[in-house]
Amino acid sequence: MNTATLTTQNNEYSRRFDRWVLERVRQKRGSPELPFTLEYRHIYVMPTSFGAWFGVLLALTAIGGLNFNNNMALMLGFVLASIAQMTTLLAYRNLSGLCLAGLRASPVFAGQAARFKVLLKNPEARFRFAIQVKSEEAIDCADIGPQETGQLVLKQSTVQRGWLEMAPFRIQNRYPLGLFRAWSVIIPAARCLVYPAPALNPPALPKAGHGEEGSARQGEGEHFHGLREYQVGDPLRRIAWKTSARHQKLYSRVMESPSEDACEINWYLMRGGSTEEKLSIMTAWILRAERLQIPYSLEMPTAALPPDLGEEHRDACLEILALFQP
Amino acid sequence: MINPQKKAIFWVIASLSVAMAPQIVRMPLTLVAITLFPLLWRIAAERLDWKELPALVRHAATGAALITLFFSYGNVTGRRAAVSLLTVMLAMKLIESYRIRDARLIVSFSLFLCATQFLFSQSILMPFYGAVSVIIALVALTQLHRNEAFENLGETPPVTASIFSELGFSFRLLALAVPVGLAFFLFFPRWATPLWGIPETTLDSKTGLSGSMSPGSIQSLFMDDSPAFRVKFETEIPQPSELYWRGPVFWNFDGETWSGSFFGKNITAKSRPDEQDAPWRYSVQLEPNERHWLFALDYPVTTPMDSRVSMDFQILRREAVTQLLEYSMVSNPQFTDTPELTVELKASALDLPNGSNPRARELVSQWQEEGWTGPALAQHVLDYFNQEAFYYSLEAPLLGQHSVDEFLFDSRTGYCEHYASSFTVLMRMAGIPARVVTGYQGGWYNPVGDYMLIRQSDAHAWSELWFPDTGWTRIDPTGAVAPARVNRGSLGALSSPRHMLDYTWLRNMRNGIDVVQQRWNDWVIEFGASSQAKMFSPLGLDRMTPAHLVIVMFVAIGLFSLVLLPFILRTKGPARKDPLQLLWQKFLKRLQSAGYETQASTGAIELAQAAALSLPGDAPAIYRIADLYSRYRYSPLPPPFSEVKNAVKDFHPKGSAV
Repeated sequence: MNTATLTTQNNEYSRRFDRWVLERVRQKRGSPELPFTLEYRHIYVMPTSFGAWFGVLLALTAIGGLNFNNNMALMLGFVLASIAQMTTLLAYRNLSGLCLAGLRASPVFAGQAARFKVLLKNPEARFRFAIQVKSEEAIDCADIGPQETGQLVLKQSTVQRGWLEMAPFRIQNRYPLGLFRAWSVIIPAARCLVYPAPALNPPALPKAGHGEEGSARQGEGEHFHGLREYQVGDPLRRIAWKTSARHQKLYSRVMESPSEDACEINWYLMRGGSTEEKLSIMTAWILRAERLQIPYSLEMPTAALPPDLGEEHRDACLEILALFQP
Repeated sequence: MINPQKKAIFWVIASLSVAMAPQIVRMPLTLVAITLFPLLWRIAAERLDWKELPALVRHAATGAALITLFFSYGNVTGRRAAVSLLTVMLAMKLIESYRIRDARLIVSFSLFLCATQFLFSQSILMPFYGAVSVIIALVALTQLHRNEAFENLGETPPVTASIFSELGFSFRLLALAVPVGLAFFLFFPRWATPLWGIPETTLDSKTGLSGSMSPGSIQSLFMDDSPAFRVKFETEIPQPSELYWRGPVFWNFDGETWSGSFFGKNITAKSRPDEQDAPWRYSVQLEPNERHWLFALDYPVTTPMDSRVSMDFQILRREAVTQLLEYSMVSNPQFTDTPELTVELKASALDLPNGSNPRARELVSQWQEEGWTGPALAQHVLDYFNQEAFYYSLEAPLLGQHSVDEFLFDSRTGYCEHYASSFTVLMRMAGIPARVVTGYQGGWYNPVGDYMLIRQSDAHAWSELWFPDTGWTRIDPTGAVAPARVNRGSLGALSSPRHMLDYTWLRNMRNGIDVVQQRWNDWVIEFGASSQAKMFSPLGLDRMTPAHLVIVMFVAIGLFSLVLLPFILRTKGPARKDPLQLLWQKFLKRLQSAGYETQASTGAIELAQAAALSLPGDAPAIYRIADLYSRYRYSPLPPPFSEVKNAVKDFHPKGSAV
């Protein structure tokens, strides 16, 4: 897992500050248990760079006003300072009470960006303005209405197969004037499964029986393979009436003509290349077999799955490949 | 580069325009045009989707603006020129501000520009200008914040707020900030002495009486109704005939222009009137005029801070008056000014240019032959003014080389300066030392505020003659021609109004309303370190130190915050409206007008099914809208918003509910 620094800012000081805060949060509260409600002790308020600049301008106005004893300029400076101070409270309040309800991510192939969904629930009857989530790599923003749940997405790039830990991120806002930023650091306990990247030009699908243990999976005649949702054109005799009645939805039996058509994806039959290259090719085969609707089996040193088709089978196979440790 | 959303940039332009308004009316016309050009260009560019100007054009425009500025002002050290520079640069910034950062820079500098305007005027109207500037700037900042937050999405924020709710939110922020701002204002320790000085040329122009008097100089003041100073008497208010506010005193005459003398300006008064029996004690609040003279009734007993009293009893301040200045004064008319006149001064008080005004000289020698001398001669001349056909009027013709001759024998129409000048010249011809004194005469008593208001139009000129026993003695030749000038004020003496709106009742009303400005000056503008120190003296705390003040300030801020906290927390922000929801409501309304009763809590599809049953003729349209609505709201691949919009727009139920 990479220890993220949580900032895209170029400023070395703010980067160092962010790292320090992150370390503190890691030590003090670690990963929050979901649902996690933001309370005052989780929320920091700091001026933005625009806020700091605005402060300098106000100080100049006040010094000029004091020097020339110009009471109206002074009053303007003081009122603006008071407005600025008030916005810290509004920024804080815009965040406090917000609830981090869930963190999800569907598996992706290595090289694709993982999309972590951040579910932010607003349990209160007030509007939350421009709530942002921001990680080192990505940012997203949404208004969250009363009693609504905002779904924000943080993309995170992937390189390797396996589990990808979600990077730390901030929930933040600069409401209402952009002078102050209220923010809370979240070290998420969420991960995304990353499948191996499919090889670009894989060899032809390996047919069963071409290997040494070729005869193992040869079946006799048509045999039942699995179920899928009814599609127009499916013959009536294929409809699985009992299952359909149970689910109130039509399902067709997927029948398989076995032997020659089934393919066998077998770790031990892979020749040449590194582990990752082999896994890449196997991934590509699984995807192709699925597309061509050719049943496929998988055999790995860690696990083996009989020939089958369908999303579940595919995902199970890909997961085995993703998590394979030689 | 990401365009700030258009709405935001319009608010930024509005913010700058409001802030620069008071400045722009004081700028030279060419500079105004140059400042408005980028503003108008940007508005047009946003409306018509023009491209950004090339860098070369932008730099050229900025360079041209700077050159014009330098030529208009000569330099940029003056306060007005410096603020003009800021204004022009901010306007120029508009043509290249395509980033939120730049737009924010413009807004925050607009607020700074607003603060600089208070250096020029702190009138009672300025707080409104300040409030409007702040409210518009807050709206601009709110919008920029939203644009920044949603910047990475590359699309407009999904919901918008109405203009009233944006303004209302800003107004609420401002209103909630005022109490704490006030606590800061009252208790933040002020500096008794400034850290750095104020440049002398800070106002647009010097106003009021000047260091010389030539024909027409007072006449122009006469058209100016702005206040010169206000006086609050602790003692009895003097009679109108005693209200001579002494200002610049002139000794030297070159045939046309009167000016001060070296001695008069540089030698300090040797003897001063007695303070014990001085009848008049008062404080003067002098409007800034960029000049050095302070005004007082004859003869000043005390010397205000940072100033001196010259031998001809001008009160001269070390630095020009660039801010409202308050000083207290004691005057005692019972005083003999200069019982002994030195030879040099006598010579200077008799000096006249050679060969000028031959007819006047002839007239004087004729009087002398008739036996008039000394005070009797002076009285004779006054009678002459009074009995001959002399007129007191603003419409005096311009006079040439022999100005006194022309006035005495030809025009015979003039204003106080003509009479004072001619009279003084006549006296000098007769060998009586004489000088011209300018200042203000009279004033308008405001019963509500219990103070006298002296306007620029009360400017006056009179003469002083020196006689061995009485010293310098005031003689007002204008009083001989138009006694009403002295008793009823400068405007009362005129037979016709100065301009179209010059009515007595209007003038009285304006003088009455002036009390508001006077109170404002007293309570707000004049508030400073000394007022803070005395703030709690009614409670027995004689002197507040800065440390005390800071404590009080924090207590006050704490208290105010405690009271205001619930209101601040209840601040809702500009009410955002969901355009999709608005469309849905429109759809529901149309269903209702067709006779279908909608229930509030049904989902879109359910509602469509029910509505289609009662309006079978419109069923496809209803289904379509419900489908678009739910897909737009929930689907990861929503249809374009325009499709939803058009579907609802074109939905006109044909039948009526079954």
